Amino acid sequence: MACCTAADHVTSSAVESTRPLFWGIAGVWVFYAVAALAIVVFVQGVAARVLAWRRAGRGRLPALDASRLWSMARNGLLGLRIFRGDAGAGLMHLLIAWGFLGLFAGTALLSIHEWIVPFLVGDVYLIYSATMEVFGLLLLAGLLWAGVRRYVVRTGRLSRTPGDLVPLLWLGLVGVTGFLLEGARLGAGGAVRLGDWSFVGEALTAIRLPRDQRLVVYQGLWWTHALLSLGLVAWIPRSKLLHTLVAPLNLMVESSPEPSPMGRGQGEGTEPEPTLRARDLLAIDACTRCGRCVDACPSRAAGEPLSPREVVQALRTGPVAAATQTGPGRDLWYCTACLACREVCPVEVTPLELVARLRGAVIEEGSAVPPKLGETLERLHKYQNPWVSKKGQKAAWARDLELEAPELEPAWLYFVGCTTSLDTRAQAIARSIATVLARCGVAFGTLGKKEPCCGDIGRRVGERGLFEDQREATAALLDERGARRVVTSSPHCFDTIARAYGPGREVLHYSQLLARLIDEGKLELARASEGPTKATYHDPCFLGRHNGVYDEPRRVLAAVPGIELVEMEAHGASSVCCGGGGGRMWQTELPDKGDLAGRRIGQAVATGARLLVTACPLCLVMLEDARKTAGLEDRIEVVDLCELVARHLAAAPEGAGE
Amino acid sequence: MNILVCVKAVPETAEAELEISRSGDAVETDDLVFGINEWDAYAVEEAVRLKEARGGTITALSLGGDEAEDVLRRALAMGCDEAIRLEDDELAGSDPATVARALARAIEVRGLEPDLILTGVQSADTGYGQIGVLLAQRLDLPHATLAVGLELEPDAGRIVVQRELEAGTLERVELPLPGLVTVQSGINRPRYVSIMGIRKVRSKTIEQLGVDDLELGKVGPAAAVWSLRTLSLPPAGARAEMLEGSLAQVCARAAEIVREKGGRR
Repeated sequence: MACCTAADHVTSSAVESTRPLFWGIAGVWVFYAVAALAIVVFVQGVAARVLAWRRAGRGRLPALDASRLWSMARNGLLGLRIFRGDAGAGLMHLLIAWGFLGLFAGTALLSIHEWIVPFLVGDVYLIYSATMEVFGLLLLAGLLWAGVRRYVVRTGRLSRTPGDLVPLLWLGLVGVTGFLLEGARLGAGGAVRLGDWSFVGEALTAIRLPRDQRLVVYQGLWWTHALLSLGLVAWIPRSKLLHTLVAPLNLMVESSPEPSPMGRGQGEGTEPEPTLRARDLLAIDACTRCGRCVDACPSRAAGEPLSPREVVQALRTGPVAAATQTGPGRDLWYCTACLACREVCPVEVTPLELVARLRGAVIEEGSAVPPKLGETLERLHKYQNPWVSKKGQKAAWARDLELEAPELEPAWLYFVGCTTSLDTRAQAIARSIATVLARCGVAFGTLGKKEPCCGDIGRRVGERGLFEDQREATAALLDERGARRVVTSSPHCFDTIARAYGPGREVLHYSQLLARLIDEGKLELARASEGPTKATYHDPCFLGRHNGVYDEPRRVLAAVPGIELVEMEAHGASSVCCGGGGGRMWQTELPDKGDLAGRRIGQAVATGARLLVTACPLCLVMLEDARKTAGLEDRIEVVDLCELVARHLAAAPEGAGE
Repeated sequence: MNILVCVKAVPETAEAELEISRSGDAVETDDLVFGINEWDAYAVEEAVRLKEARGGTITALSLGGDEAEDVLRRALAMGCDEAIRLEDDELAGSDPATVARALARAIEVRGLEPDLILTGVQSADTGYGQIGVLLAQRLDLPHATLAVGLELEPDAGRIVVQRELEAGTLERVELPLPGLVTVQSGINRPRYVSIMGIRKVRSKTIEQLGVDDLELGKVGPAAAVWSLRTLSLPPAGARAEMLEGSLAQVCARAAEIVREKGGRR
């Protein structure tokens, strides 16, 4: 492969331009021996990785999906995701990748020319030669840029370990010795002078050497270049350059994020110790430590120690149980499962899947589970909610609400959810949803006092058994009630029931149902008295990034008369987490906790909006608390989307919606 | 080193609204959720830590019905090796002395020769705090109560116990083994038991012993030295005062009350 690079062109006769590989080189067999060794080492390195993936057994790699080839082409070959938010990095990578690929292709062509059909002769060779010059320059320019970014500009997110430096230097040396070799060969008379067709080599002949040293220098450079190139080949599978092979593969198999150790319909019964799956190992091998996940992490931004990159790296070197003993292993309770890390990853690694794996290991081992989390999980197990150690409280929100008894066959099962049922602030969401649905003539029922926890918390904190029990119980209850259509208050319940329960139900978040009712003309909203109001919308992570529901809540907002939407700078896919997800809501004892919700409400206030609208009970509770803590009561109001809708119901009778 | 640890299933009452049964001598437990007695969880954890450090086996022993079965299952998941449940139908209404007699007989009948017996200091429901001491008497073993620290001597012939006394004082006592220690809360941090952990020990058998196996003679209320008459809920206090007004006013009034009652001056 890269054994002969850009500038390595020689012609054999004065008559016609072409390339003899070994002009002036003795002991060609040594070259072939080393090349064979390099290839063996390379293959052995790749095979070791593939075997490791296969050994991971359970959960084989997902089948390659033809529709993913397009993603691989865009994000693997062109690296389009690298351009996001950092065009310079994208261009830099494109130069290196295509410089390298071009030279690799050139070497492949040369091999064909040497061993199969000689075709690099005459004009074809001239074009070939000039093209290789260009690719060589692209590579060197990209490498130089990369070096400047990492070591001169010192871009914050980039690490500067030996593992980052050596690949840059090595690739650079291969390129530079290639050009020098070309120059030396031309100087030593080992090739027809091609003039502008090998412009770099020609330029380098300006370096004058004594006549008797020319051949020796050329031979020295030849071997240096050959050995460096072969060494690089051998080293690729053991370096971060492994990503050149694995990242495209990762992009191909990653069709949708399943950020949990408990995907759809998997794992009934007992499981052995939590281990990494083939899918995880692939992602770990694809990681290049670029650090975008660190920059995107809301926990990190709030000054907490979690680093998604370090979590991935900790698992690269050791087993899951060992990783839980390291720094990143201890920091994993800060993760809010917001998915921002995957959103920005150029190769679609999902660090939060690995966080979930680590959490599972800690939970099963037991002794390092944070006490408050342990209490929450026990409460979830015994009382089917994370809030109160008391049974039969789930329907308390509806006590003072006058609702007509549901029809015989309600069209929708309204899954209220723990926080919406039990938190005094969030209960307003349940009341407004019930009111709005009733007003639209939507027949709905609930599971009332018997509603279990959907399992979201267990799923996110890695309490796999608890999640499985709750999934089973909830699914059975839904089936018993004949609930084929489920609407939820919480994006968390929505995500879990829609994506982890298996098929057979239509599951919507209420914002989607409201958008549908507006489209159907069943939900009519009137102008409220106070006049036009600026509002901003906070995308809940489990509605937006996790499920791609960005549009419907905004359509509902647009339908509310008098509301003018002003977006925060970070919205949609780049929305910033409130800090309540991934079990963080119940992790009140984390040391050095950052103020995630405070940062987010600050961003909302900066828009000048009077209303901060969200569509998740956890976001509502977190942001409402932050509003009070920051003393922003007079500046902004935090309101759930459905609460806002209920306020604007056409000709609302007294008291509706609250 | 063989350890025996006694555990009890108790109803969780921290947030529950308690009701007294119609007979007036029991708490209605139908709507209550049972779990391991807090002090016993510390005792089991301590036993498992001793085992992890020094080897040996742990037997968990409980008296009770299905709830006791669940609690023993949990003890197994935490690291106990065997579990024995004494059926409680006929033992219902027994006083602590009879319960201790039953536990002691179970140890004898099963031929267990524990080097160390651990119990919780007390149970969260009745709070008598007698079982550990009575059991030691029955088995003629030395005992130490209110342990907040255990250190096993290298030859395992003795154990050094830190006892929690009043006002933060500690007492160090040395106990020859075999002996019995009642464990105070806070001695350690009991590990979390996952649902999967419970599932893993689902197939382990929990040995059951009845009153007949134990040849206990008279049990229940008939054998009790004393009996429970009635339970009552504490009357709601009448002296609650809701402070109203602005935050500053509320704070000022609260400070005033503290001063009036002889608090900080």
